[in-house]
Amino acid sequence: MNGSSARPSRSSEPTPHGAPKPRRELSDLQFALVVTVPVLLFLVVVVAYPLGYALYMSFHDIRFFGGYSAEFIGGENYAGVLSDSAFWGALWLTIRFTIVTVLLGLLIGLGLAIVLRDLPPGWKWLRALIILPWAVSPYGTGIFFAYLGRGQTGFGTAFANALGIDEAINFISAQWVIEYLAFGNAWNMAPLVAFFLLANMLTIPKRLYHLAALDRMNRFEQFWNVTLPPLRFTLFVFSCILTVLALKTFDFIFTQTQGGPGNASSVLTYLIYRISFVNLNLGYGAAMSFFLLALILGLTGALFFFWGRKVSR
Amino acid sequence: MTVKFQEGRRRHLLRATTALSGLLAAAVVAGSLGVSAVSAQESFEAITDENVYFRGWQFRTDVVQGNVDTYNETMGGNVDYATVTGDYPAIMEQNLIAGGELDVLYANPSSAVRYFEGGWITPATALPNSDEIMEDMYPNIREAWTHNGELLGLSYFVSVRGTLLANLELIEEAGFTEEDLPATWPELYDMVYALNEAGVDTPFLPHWFAEYFGISWGFVFEVMNRGGVVADAETNEPMLSVDGPAGETLADWKELWNSGLVPEEVLSYNEAAFIDAYRSGRYVFSPQQLYDIKTFNDESQSADVAGHITLLSSEEQSWGLIDSAMYMMTSRDRAEDHTQDVMNFTSWYGYKNEEGEYAVANRWLEENMLFSAYRSVMESDMAREAIESAVARPEDYQTLLDVYATTDYPAGIWNVVWAEEFNSWLRDKLFAFLQNDLPVEEVINEANAEIERLNDRYGL
Repeated sequence: MNGSSARPSRSSEPTPHGAPKPRRELSDLQFALVVTVPVLLFLVVVVAYPLGYALYMSFHDIRFFGGYSAEFIGGENYAGVLSDSAFWGALWLTIRFTIVTVLLGLLIGLGLAIVLRDLPPGWKWLRALIILPWAVSPYGTGIFFAYLGRGQTGFGTAFANALGIDEAINFISAQWVIEYLAFGNAWNMAPLVAFFLLANMLTIPKRLYHLAALDRMNRFEQFWNVTLPPLRFTLFVFSCILTVLALKTFDFIFTQTQGGPGNASSVLTYLIYRISFVNLNLGYGAAMSFFLLALILGLTGALFFFWGRKVSR
Repeated sequence: MTVKFQEGRRRHLLRATTALSGLLAAAVVAGSLGVSAVSAQESFEAITDENVYFRGWQFRTDVVQGNVDTYNETMGGNVDYATVTGDYPAIMEQNLIAGGELDVLYANPSSAVRYFEGGWITPATALPNSDEIMEDMYPNIREAWTHNGELLGLSYFVSVRGTLLANLELIEEAGFTEEDLPATWPELYDMVYALNEAGVDTPFLPHWFAEYFGISWGFVFEVMNRGGVVADAETNEPMLSVDGPAGETLADWKELWNSGLVPEEVLSYNEAAFIDAYRSGRYVFSPQQLYDIKTFNDESQSADVAGHITLLSSEEQSWGLIDSAMYMMTSRDRAEDHTQDVMNFTSWYGYKNEEGEYAVANRWLEENMLFSAYRSVMESDMAREAIESAVARPEDYQTLLDVYATTDYPAGIWNVVWAEEFNSWLRDKLFAFLQNDLPVEEVINEANAEIERLNDRYGL
């Protein structure tokens, strides 16, 4: 188990005087510490400390006015969150937004990947262009989709007018705003999904498709029996990624709807922002953010438990 | 008490406007006031090489940067200008709490009082020429910007948010005339429904947009315009009642919302979208910023409505509320000379330049019709020309001055430390009122309770 054999020894390097100078080998433990301690320290600074401080704040009533003060109030903030109707409303909106984002992101990504795979010769360069939506910042995407979705300036009204219908079609309504936001979010992320799925698809041996053709499978059967099985792990990974990204989406919603119309798109991140950084109720906001953290861990854990364990075998 | 207080303000404003009109007629006198005596301050030149960090919201950043460049070139300054996007009051408060690189900032009076009470602001009274500056301000504005005897900042602009604008072309197309124009809020709602019956799909664009100065300010000014008060100006005690102006306002809002005449997307508009909506020519009436009447009547900016936008008379009631902003100086830790640089720049930018001219204020008036708190700016020929060039009809000039002169200021909820907290709460509650069909009584009782809670929290 000595680690010396795992790495080339440098003990035989000559000294300036010509004689080899013996060097002490690092043990596996020492080597591991050298490699990981800086990373761990970095994580402590950028993750553990803020997380710990947020935990501290969540048990305190924090005030900045007239000088900083933090009064210990136990679990009052957590109890307050659980009895706050705004929290439950935002939680439902968050789950709805996440589910639609993940479904649309995977479907659009999969569709794009299939189209990109089957591009005729001379059109492969389109693969490079398709990444462009992902290159747009969520902030910019929000502004872009705000203009597109409003009845005043949007494509719904333009389309209706082109058909001779004098009607303003508004997608930013309380009824549909979450789905519209999820569509914009999926548009932003789907190219990344598509690229990974495409890479995955290109590793599928062509002979499998030849065999499927011999078996007289139609295109859907080929997709279901040949294309999809090797993609399942990638789809699981991106389900997790899209879930986490959707749960913590903020800037896109902030620029597109400001949580509106009214409070119709005030998801948890937006609600926490308003509580913590507009009303400066940092203790309460911190407590609510731990519920969001639990939601992220719970949903990704559930995904792994019900799906990931099967596809990763 | 509060009503008297507001009536006092109106009297002040009316007197000021009467004087303004007289002086505008006397062009020679007014012209001489345009470039008045050189400021009591002798030099505005920068002493140190330290940066002076100047931050504001996004409005005509080209003009601001141009002014800053002029200062830096002529006075050897090192002013670093940048804008802040998002919820401006909250972001600036966090900057102030953190003691970040921030020396001069824009602030509405509601935020200014909180910043001052937090100990993060050096009042304008600390400037060597503060007596001269205060003397030059209209009394009502000076009063609104003064807290605990200290003038909080220098004049950026003074305007009226909620000036009721009307599109004359649409009114005439619907078969109405100027004589039919409403004079009060109840009359306005009656005409909105009459216009709808006459075939106008979207007769009214209410002040229900999503910015921090959107729906909540819309409620506050409508209550005041109807003669009500949100909170007492002296004691900050809540004053809303179900059977008073607040209840009437919410009842009218509920009826309007349920009528479906207001597109739901209005609730998610930012300010730019709100302005775009009105200049699209789809709406007949809308409470807008007073200075935007220039935008709406400018062919190059608002081709669909230019030349047709007038404003409702304030003979029977006021419209909107006084919306103003100041340039404020922070009190963060700095060397003495560096602080002197901050003061030099603030005075140059917010009052007079080295030649005794109101260079920045005049430019705002000329380019965007931003009114100033300084009499010498407002009582100049240039002011008259700027206003006359912005209105659709000659008679609108006097109407505009009347609206400006009669507008209320919500001292009870703005000149108090919890102003922004209540504003944020009110915004959310009013959206819920519309979307969740909450009872009027519940909203009013909760608003009063929230004011009482905030008074308790801050020991008022």
